[in-house]
Amino acid sequence: MSEKTYAVPGSISRRRFLHGSAAAGAIMALPGATLAQAEGQLLLWLPGGSDLFCKIHTGLLEGFSSSANLGPATTVCGLGQDTEFTQALIGSITAGSPPDISMLWDSPVSLGAQGAFMPLDEMMKNSKIGIDTWPAGLLSSCQFKGNTYGLPVTAGVYTMWYNEELLESKGIPSDRASFPKTWVEMRKLSKEFTVWDGDTLVSAGFMPNRIPETMAIWSALNGGMLFDEANLKYMLDSEQNIEMMNFFLEWLDEEYKGDVNLIDRAGNFKEAYPDASSGLGPAFREGRQAGLISGSWLMGDIYADPVPTFTRWNMAPIPVGPSGTTAVSGTWPNWFVIPVGSKNPQAAFDYLSYLAIEGSVEWYQQIPDVPTNSQVSLKAPNSLIENRGAEFADDLTAFLATQAAIVTPMWNSPSQSFGNDQMARAMEKIYTKAASVKDALSDAQSAAQAELDRVMAG
Amino acid sequence: MGKSTPSGQAGAETLPRRRRRAGRNEARAGVLFALPWMIGLAIFTAIPLVLTFYIAQARFQITGAPKWVGLQNYSAIWADPAVWTSAQNTLMFAMISVPIKLVLALCLALLLNRVTMLSGFYRTVFYLPFLMPAVAGSIVFILLLNPVAGPVNMMLQAMGLSPPDWLLDPKAALWTLILLSLWPLGVETLVFLGGLQNIPKDISEAADLDSPRGWHKLVWITIPLITPMILFNLVTGIIYSFQVFTQALVIGGTTGKPAEATLMYMVVLYRAAFRYFNMGHAAAMATVLFVVVLLLTLLIFRTARSWVYYEGESR
Amino acid sequence: MKKTSRIAPARVAQTLVYHAVMLAISAVFLLPFYWMAISAFKNNAEIFANPVLWFPDPIRLENLTALLTRDDFPFLRQFANSVFYALSVACAVCFSCSLAAYSFGCLRWRGRNLVFGLTVCALLLPGIVTFLPVYLGWTKLGLNGTYWPLIAPFFFGDAFFIFMLRQFFLGVPRELMDAARLDGASEFRIWWQIVLPQVRTPLIIVGLFAIVYTWNEFFGPLIYLQDRDEFPLSLGLFTFQAARAREWSISMTGALLTALPMVVLFLVTQRLFRQGLASSTLK
Repeated sequence: MSEKTYAVPGSISRRRFLHGSAAAGAIMALPGATLAQAEGQLLLWLPGGSDLFCKIHTGLLEGFSSSANLGPATTVCGLGQDTEFTQALIGSITAGSPPDISMLWDSPVSLGAQGAFMPLDEMMKNSKIGIDTWPAGLLSSCQFKGNTYGLPVTAGVYTMWYNEELLESKGIPSDRASFPKTWVEMRKLSKEFTVWDGDTLVSAGFMPNRIPETMAIWSALNGGMLFDEANLKYMLDSEQNIEMMNFFLEWLDEEYKGDVNLIDRAGNFKEAYPDASSGLGPAFREGRQAGLISGSWLMGDIYADPVPTFTRWNMAPIPVGPSGTTAVSGTWPNWFVIPVGSKNPQAAFDYLSYLAIEGSVEWYQQIPDVPTNSQVSLKAPNSLIENRGAEFADDLTAFLATQAAIVTPMWNSPSQSFGNDQMARAMEKIYTKAASVKDALSDAQSAAQAELDRVMAG
Repeated sequence: MGKSTPSGQAGAETLPRRRRRAGRNEARAGVLFALPWMIGLAIFTAIPLVLTFYIAQARFQITGAPKWVGLQNYSAIWADPAVWTSAQNTLMFAMISVPIKLVLALCLALLLNRVTMLSGFYRTVFYLPFLMPAVAGSIVFILLLNPVAGPVNMMLQAMGLSPPDWLLDPKAALWTLILLSLWPLGVETLVFLGGLQNIPKDISEAADLDSPRGWHKLVWITIPLITPMILFNLVTGIIYSFQVFTQALVIGGTTGKPAEATLMYMVVLYRAAFRYFNMGHAAAMATVLFVVVLLLTLLIFRTARSWVYYEGESR
Repeated sequence: MKKTSRIAPARVAQTLVYHAVMLAISAVFLLPFYWMAISAFKNNAEIFANPVLWFPDPIRLENLTALLTRDDFPFLRQFANSVFYALSVACAVCFSCSLAAYSFGCLRWRGRNLVFGLTVCALLLPGIVTFLPVYLGWTKLGLNGTYWPLIAPFFFGDAFFIFMLRQFFLGVPRELMDAARLDGASEFRIWWQIVLPQVRTPLIIVGLFAIVYTWNEFFGPLIYLQDRDEFPLSLGLFTFQAARAREWSISMTGALLTALPMVVLFLVTQRLFRQGLASSTLK
């Protein structure tokens, strides 16, 4: 369909209007065409991501469809992130015209438990990607009452990222082995870099964590957990978590004038991406922050995004909390599901098994989301080799593998997004001093538990 | 309302009969003309209203069938802190934004109600914000009110003031949202101006002669004559404010950033229905909103009898 | 002579103060528009420049061209969708609401006050109260993802516009219709040939209001539409901004071009707008 049909009417004459309604007729007919897929033609939905991300997946699906002699495939990108996406997906499922495959950025358990996605266990039995080829901790984010509702095909692995140049400028060794091993050490080192000009934060060392999605990792590092899967209990206000938030809050008070607003006015110190609400750039990539926690996908974006970045960054394990004993890491997977009502479930599953083993390698080369299936062996991504050399790239790939092996269970609650929202709310209240640590966490705990019980009862 | 005119009764014998037949035709036509709307009212309003009350008493996740749970959803929203926070925010928003908006719109309308060379320009300027899509407007304000790099704070700082963080500070965010809601007051102004211009010249001029003091005229002549417009703006303003959604979602997302300061009732309702897929919860919230708005409008209309002046009544 | 010479300077001063106040208020009202407009011709660095750049230098047109070529913001397509959506709703509303408003405003029938009372109640009813079952109904019909749920209801009427139009229909002199009735005209003809011409301006005003409301409508499209290529502009702008928060210059260009059609429409028709309200048949 050519764009010309949709020529912009200059004035609203009657004739033009009729033209417009003809075009509109075509638009109204269109969803029928894109949503109700013919058999043998795969339709894939993506929740968001960059143009590059969309192109990679369009290419992978087209390649697979033509080699498997399926009809022309369609990839729909940019359906909106987060709430809008899930809402659209559920809408299409209840309307009976869902995509054949959908990627999710939120764990499939809760929607799967409600009957929105197909259980994949039967198909997995006779395939290359049987249950035992997946890391159990990761796959549990898709499992509910013995059914597997999706596959965590790739995952970003969370580690500490730091700025070697900044460390060296203070005469601090910049190798991975010398990076702080505990929160206490990290907090001590952080002071070296934190510079205030009046109430303006010029540069900073490290920060108390403010990303709700990573809270499960920090909690595990302090010997706690957010959600006890075995007993179906939220543990948001456990002793370890209260201790953790108190540690962060004291840190904030001591080093950052106890005011997250002051920090946010100075740039994005939370993550290595520009901040959505203020439009401010990431302090880490501007060379104004010694280090932060980030997912491995940053390895690709750091060279693809139009954000200026220093060259000598490196990764290290995330330090351990006062009550913690062992180092752990975490992930944010890219889940894939086959919605109930898919016209081509078997072909969709075949694509997933191709994607899990061959496709994900190609994907990793361009955007380093780490393939999770145990049968995949990895080479370092090209952009990394080009920018930092083969040796560094290989070292980092090996390091990521060690981190992927110590991933703590997360994303495994049947009411994941609700629980996550509650944690986010508690953190905001704590950091803005709207509530005490204990009150905020116990509020979150009772709300999250109530929702979990509701979902379980349903 | 249904006043009958007694004048025709003394006429000829045939007149009442013909009148009755004409009346029957008219009645039939009346029903026919209103029929599409009555059907629409039934399909899109009456039946769904009943169904909402039904869903509010069911456990329902969009997929699957609804399951009767009685008043469980109501006790759940009663216990949900997000509902309380958002109700409080929404009430604050409505109670502060609506009166200020009405006063401002009335002031603007009074200022506009004179003929000068620039009248057309001013009118246009005040109507324009209403034409701005709420999404576009909110995005522009996010940028405009950026605490560090936004022009508003730069100007205020240049004047030696220490401006707030507007949308980023939990203490200021709701007030900022209220402030932003005052920008598109074109419709209210338009309605008031229409009312002002409808005031008959003779009344206005008579008042001019009697009382030279401007505010006397305003209080005793102008405002009473536009009370119907005040009622209209008040009722629509309150109903609209209770349902504020777009601005809140664009600015605060589904969690009412920062720290739930901009979390509005409609956002929590939307989140319950389309993020957590808890239709029963959302429907229960909707019924509560219904009852609150109903009681509030009844209250306004009840009191309105004593302060709204309808020209027709004096005839 | 003496009297006028004493009053004149006061008058002049009064006028000057009046215009100063009005211009100041206007500046406040226009600032967001101005900021949006100039940001559309800047890049990000220039948008956040300190001190503020009050005029874009250089004037960058690349945002405009980017808007025409980007896959993640199919502007032309979404613009066409918005035009279609707004015009359909406007036409539907003008037709269906003038039927109902005529019935409520000009015809006497049993139950009229009851039905009109219900209409006013519907007008006061928050939309969300009836939204969920309607949404589920459209979903069951498989029309979720099309413009049907967004437009079709308006072919039955809309409480607000019926209420608004009725006010104008009330002003049509009853003698006019009675005379036609005595001449044996059918009710349909009376509506079409006698009453509608009397309320031509109000009808256009209702159409304009419907266009503006629909152009700005957000909640319905957010719920019902899923494909970026089908979004109207308000929703397209929202999803773009949510996903590409950093690209302020593109967002601002999008916002500018979303708002511009309504501004132009208003500027072209404002005489009508004002005439309609000034010569309102309300009394």
